[in-house]
Amino acid sequence: MRKLLYLLPLSLLFFVTACGDDDVQAEETAEVNLNFKATYDGDDFYTENIYKLFEGVDDTDIKFSTFDFFIGNVSLIKNVGEEFEETELLEIDFVSLSFDPGQAAQAEAGVTIQGRKVPAGTYDGIKIGFGVPADLNRTSPSEYGSGDVLSKTSHYWSGWDSYIFAKLEGLADHNGNGVFETSGVEEGFTYHMGTDETFTERTIFQTITLEVDEERTVNLNLDVRKLFRMTLSEYDQDDNDLLDVEDFPGTHTDAELQINKTMMNNFSDAVSLQE
Amino acid sequence: MKELNTALVVTLLLGLLVQCSTTPLDRDLSHLPYTPEPYEVKVPEGFPRLEVPEDNPITKAGVALGQKLFFDPILSADSTMSCVNCHLPYFALTDVEATSVGIDGLRGRRSSMSLLNVAFYNTGLFWDGRSPSLEAQALEPVEDTLELHHKWVDLVPQLREHAEYPALFRAAFGIQNTAEINKELAAKAIAQFERVQISDGRAKFDRVMQGEATFTPDEAAGYDMFFDVTNEFPDAECGHCHNVPLFTTNEYFNNGITAAATPEDFPDPGLGGVTGNPYDMGKFRAPSLRNITLTAPYMHDGRFKTLSEVLDHYNQGGQTSANVSPLIRPLKLSEVEKRQIIAFLHTLTDRKFVNHRR
Ligand code: HEC
Ligand code: HEC
Repeated sequence: MRKLLYLLPLSLLFFVTACGDDDVQAEETAEVNLNFKATYDGDDFYTENIYKLFEGVDDTDIKFSTFDFFIGNVSLIKNVGEEFEETELLEIDFVSLSFDPGQAAQAEAGVTIQGRKVPAGTYDGIKIGFGVPADLNRTSPSEYGSGDVLSKTSHYWSGWDSYIFAKLEGLADHNGNGVFETSGVEEGFTYHMGTDETFTERTIFQTITLEVDEERTVNLNLDVRKLFRMTLSEYDQDDNDLLDVEDFPGTHTDAELQINKTMMNNFSDAVSLQE
Repeated sequence: MKELNTALVVTLLLGLLVQCSTTPLDRDLSHLPYTPEPYEVKVPEGFPRLEVPEDNPITKAGVALGQKLFFDPILSADSTMSCVNCHLPYFALTDVEATSVGIDGLRGRRSSMSLLNVAFYNTGLFWDGRSPSLEAQALEPVEDTLELHHKWVDLVPQLREHAEYPALFRAAFGIQNTAEINKELAAKAIAQFERVQISDGRAKFDRVMQGEATFTPDEAAGYDMFFDVTNEFPDAECGHCHNVPLFTTNEYFNNGITAAATPEDFPDPGLGGVTGNPYDMGKFRAPSLRNITLTAPYMHDGRFKTLSEVLDHYNQGGQTSANVSPLIRPLKLSEVEKRQIIAFLHTLTDRKFVNHRR
């Protein structure tokens, strides 16, 4: 009898899993891909290309060498009554938009990331997390095989016990001599972002109707200039709501952690859905 | 009639030839033992996972054969030199010359590389990343005119005729006949041997991280600057490109050692020579700094004789050059601070590996 009692919950479990399986098979699904591209103040973004830092406000020449970030907890959302129902597209992936003009074809194509199959139907929007979700951020690169995006030691910082969620690096010709310099003068900037509290989510509301068996690509753009918006006056000494890149070229000191948080937060504003 | 005669002579001669070559070059090996046993690889805690190609599992016999080949001058045209001449075990497997010298006394354009932990360098081998795998790489030095300057078509028969190699190839790969010995199998064996050259995880740095040792104050200060741990010391930026656990992220950078106004000005194009992309010119793979105190001189062309010169280079922000990494910048380190970083680099030396290598 006792044995039987043990068996009861087990058999129930069996039923539950069996039903679940049936559901997925019977469901009519569609495939959703995400495509990422970048612009700088509206112009196509390339590393090693020269832009004006903040055109019309600060015309310093800048060029980037790196722009990449993790995306996590991406899902389609559906408005059901008072609440939103989430259908997960992917848990974690990595997007590098560091394409130089020699890689123009790749830049033009953007980075496409395959999401999971989801039930066909109408959704009310998409939710994207920028960074590594907290549960995954407890892990570290040595736990993953080399094919895994979380195996990147280039994007883990032991000092923070965190993945580096995003990198934005480049040089600015602050002294205006027409040369981007590293020797003897400080013209580089290296913004590395990360730690749990900087994980940023953005929900973009837009009706997305997925037909059965359809393969849909959702096109997303990031305008890199928007990452520089600073609402904290201590890092915006020119009082133009923009980061003072010359005085605060990094995100490593404690004080600069504020810049790290703000820039990560700015991803929610920098991202937009394209037609 | 004349034709028939010639045909006869030719056939006879051919028959003789084949007979001669059957003896050593085409010998049955199936009676010899083939009992492959997996080689137990020890990977220290916190290191990346060791990934092994499915078609080249690591076996004891494979590693033994690879080791013999690696050390055997038979690989060079005049039998004077082997892999080990440039990848010396007592120097963390690199030679001590700025740029390597091959059998003809000709100097290559690049410095030899440490083969310690080479299994984990998964973004392309060589300074410029031109070789995709250890199996592919091992084919190259034999025919490189600046290195072993031999030819596989000549070397393979030498291996087939050899007194010991056929049995070793049989034990490693289960071949039935000496005729199956080829350069691909030789390369696979060398790759197996290289793949197991892994740190023992007992460098002082590792022991400190495991709570079994403590840094001296100088080492601790150097560690702090290397990884920018606190704001007490300047940030030396090293950790971004030379991150734990291998002290490299396997990425390609221009770390500013060469002044170059345009990408065409780099004497050695590095990664750009492989990809053809002008924006990759002057970029090289950031090497591991484990055992760095043993592998002078430094950089792809061996331009710096000492770590002190390396630190001077980074401290001034390198030289202004196209596509230099923004992580290269004037660091404003004092003489003491530079010495402290070097003290920290000494904690990456894996003495055990260096002294007790089989
Ligand atoms: C004459 C000196 C010389 C000889 C002999 C030599 N090498 Fe090398 N090795 C070098 C140099 C120099 C490099 C770097 C070359 C480059 O980047 O272009 C190198 C690079 C390598 C690398 C790449 C390591 C990395 O981190 O990417 C491997 C693996 C290697 N050698 C294995 C071998 C093997 C196996 C042999 C014998 C079959 C051998 N070498 C013989 C000089 C030599
Ligand atoms: C931007 C990335 C980057 C940073 C930051 C950086 N390195 Fe390097 N390092 C490299 C690259 C790339 C090479 C190889 C360059 C070459 O040979 O052309 C290298 C080479 C070296 C070498 C020579 C290795 C060898 O086997 O010859 C040493 C030593 C070294 N770095 C130490 C340091 C130290 C100490 C710091 C901090 C002060 C530092 N590096 C900062 C990228 C970097």
